[in-house]
Amino acid sequence: MLRVENIVKSFDDFTAVNGAQLTVADGALVAVIGPNGAGKTTLFNLIIGLFKPDRGKITFDDKDITGLPPYEICRRGIARAFQIANIFPRLSVFENVQVAVFAQQRQSRNFLQPAHTLARAETNAILESAGLQHKARHIASALSHGDQRILEIAIALGSQPRLLILDEPTAGMSPEETATTMSLVKQLAQTRGITILFCEHDMDIVFSVAQSIMVMRHGQTIIQGTPEQVRQNRQVQEAYLGGADA
Amino acid sequence: MDPSAVISLLLVGLARAMILFIVSAGLTFVLGVLRVPNVAHGSLYMIGAFVAFTIATAFGQSSAGFWFALILAPLVVAAVALIIERGLLSHLYQREHLMLILFTFGLMLILNDLVKLIWGAEYRSVTPPEILDGAVTLFGFNIPRYSLFLLFVGPLVAVGLWFLSNKTRLGKIARAASVDREMVGVLGINVSWVFAAAFVIGCALAGLGGALVAPTTSISLGMDLTIIIESFLIVIIGGLGNTWGALIGSILFGVSQSLGLLFFPQFAIAFPYAVVVIVLLLRPRGLLRSAW
Amino acid sequence: MLKALVEPRWLVATGIILLGLLLIPFGAPLFYIYILSVIFVTALLAMSLNLVLGYGGIYQFHHAVFYGVGAYTVALILTRTSLPWWIALLAGPFVAAATGLIIGWFCVRLTKLYFGMLQISLGSLVWIIVYRWYDVTGGDNGIHDIPMPEWLTTFQGAYYFILAVVVVCVGLMFLLIKSPFGATLQAIRDNPQRCEAIGINVRHHKLIAIVIAAFFGGVAGVLFATLERSVFPGLLFWVLSLEILVMCLLGGWFTFAGPILGAAIVVALRTVASRYTDYWTMVLGIILILLIFFLPEGVMGFIQERVAAKNKAPHPQRVEEGSGS
Repeated sequence: MLRVENIVKSFDDFTAVNGAQLTVADGALVAVIGPNGAGKTTLFNLIIGLFKPDRGKITFDDKDITGLPPYEICRRGIARAFQIANIFPRLSVFENVQVAVFAQQRQSRNFLQPAHTLARAETNAILESAGLQHKARHIASALSHGDQRILEIAIALGSQPRLLILDEPTAGMSPEETATTMSLVKQLAQTRGITILFCEHDMDIVFSVAQSIMVMRHGQTIIQGTPEQVRQNRQVQEAYLGGADA
Repeated sequence: MDPSAVISLLLVGLARAMILFIVSAGLTFVLGVLRVPNVAHGSLYMIGAFVAFTIATAFGQSSAGFWFALILAPLVVAAVALIIERGLLSHLYQREHLMLILFTFGLMLILNDLVKLIWGAEYRSVTPPEILDGAVTLFGFNIPRYSLFLLFVGPLVAVGLWFLSNKTRLGKIARAASVDREMVGVLGINVSWVFAAAFVIGCALAGLGGALVAPTTSISLGMDLTIIIESFLIVIIGGLGNTWGALIGSILFGVSQSLGLLFFPQFAIAFPYAVVVIVLLLRPRGLLRSAW
Repeated sequence: MLKALVEPRWLVATGIILLGLLLIPFGAPLFYIYILSVIFVTALLAMSLNLVLGYGGIYQFHHAVFYGVGAYTVALILTRTSLPWWIALLAGPFVAAATGLIIGWFCVRLTKLYFGMLQISLGSLVWIIVYRWYDVTGGDNGIHDIPMPEWLTTFQGAYYFILAVVVVCVGLMFLLIKSPFGATLQAIRDNPQRCEAIGINVRHHKLIAIVIAAFFGGVAGVLFATLERSVFPGLLFWVLSLEILVMCLLGGWFTFAGPILGAAIVVALRTVASRYTDYWTMVLGIILILLIFFLPEGVMGFIQERVAAKNKAPHPQRVEEGSGS
């Protein structure tokens, strides 16, 4: 479904991603791991078009999407939830998701129909699966940190993606919030058939959830394989797992 | 067309560009360090001109009066700026740009009416000192002496500013603070006073520009309105916060206006604006690297 | 449809105010009718700015250009051509919108302060053309004695015409804010980067918003020309643009009706203050600085906050969380 080949991205005098490789199969749950500064977030930003790569190629459904603007990539079916809650603070929770649904339905240039009568069912369905339906009328900036992160994922779902990219979905969450989030992620993959690509610090989560794991270091790909293959890999053990839980 | 007249005209345009440069260098300095687009900058320029008039008049419009005015007017403006910064502006740095620009707009409204209150609505003038009066013939071109003087002062200010921001402790801290305010604060430096100094220096340059322009024009209410727009434009095409950009922008501005006077006198003041549009079409963020 | 959009009590309140405004010309002195007309025109201008400023988060620093272009279009058509008055009145907003398209096209490539400053420069270019092109625009003299149909030249006629147009425009803007486009615009204000990531072409949306705002700004300009029957370059001078910004700030730019209130306060104060003092701008400056220090959300924003705080009181923990972000 998604292939990243030899991608390179430098900022001024610092090369954040230096020839990374990644393959995501249709319907899979793929994790990217690596120490801080390995280039995971930059890789995600490259895939969704926030940055333009210096070199390399990204294909989605066998079509080249390298260097397309973010809104175009989103329309092709890739959505991303950000590491920090990247929401619309002055809008209500409902509107946060609804705006994404409007964009997906090409309604965002509808000028004269009242917004609150449109896209209700879709928005409510998403809020329900994210467990936010009771907070639909709250102003987003007033949500707790954990809820803002879940809202972040819900916004991404509003785009009705086929590939959902999650950047450390559980960072800074309490154990209960982490559990809720991960069960949401698994449920999305299983019941909605959404392909998921995520990065995560918590190795227990990664090895219990992911079907395929890509390991990054210094902007390069060390290996991509099943959890078993990754665990066996000597380089990975030395570089990463050896250092406790990094 | 007489080629020597053309060259004289260009030199006069260049001399005017030096005043534009001094004013917009002050604006861009404040913008670069404090991130405040100071709409009242033009008013401070006007105040500089009026103060220069008052001082020159106190000395009977003599040569000595001009030189005193040239030194004292920027200092008076600096004092006004210090009061504004300490009393009001320093409490607003955490606010968004929109609030800051509106704050300086409010300041502009107040300062302009204060000028009207103090100096009235009449036209005023300052006599240039004897040594700078009249014209000289250089290489067969007729050039006003005062223009030559401006062509000398402009680069002096540019070098002075370069020295200030690259070679002095204050300048280095100010540049660091414009990039990362918190970091500099962590280093135990009192950022607040650095900002005050930057604001005062920037405004003093507006005062200097006003004092310098005084002998070349009639000093009146409303002279702030065009200079502020012009220096905004110069600052944008130069790259926000970039002193050299302000210099290049001013020269483009002054020279294109001279060329405009040659070809389309009626629309001469539209020429620099057209240059701005062209520059921004090609380089939306200005010619030189912005400090931001 | 309307019922679903507005709470009934607001609908009733609006109805009562409108009824009052309809009846005023029957009792009030002509001067008040005139001042109210000025307030309507200014309010429409401020609201059109707030469409992009408060709802779009776009630093529209030179909105007066569209106002001036609308007014000058009417003046030029009616004094230089023999076209009927209604064509001139219809043309104004469209010429303003076209100007918005051109200026906006340059500006949307930039954001925030860069956007604002580029807009001031492009707008000033338009101002200079109007100011200097004596043969066509009359330069700094402006154009006076614009011919208008008989019924529009009376204070009452102009009042009702302006009121009707402003009510229609405000209604349209209200629908726009409540439409999916309005929701998207507010999302762009809150977080443009996130909008790109959910498939919204941010620049394109901003450009549309600027064109719409320019259109309504142009309507305000047309109304000014019909009311005053003269135009002058000050209508598109940047100082006026900042004054409109002040009105939005004063009323509260995150509220729909705020700019109306702001415009009313500024126009009323100007009328009263300039009777007693020559230093009206200083009064405005002092008010502005006081506002920035003590009432940054504007009068309406302040009222709304109070109401919200009252409603929120049963959930103190939520207020706490909200203040953190």
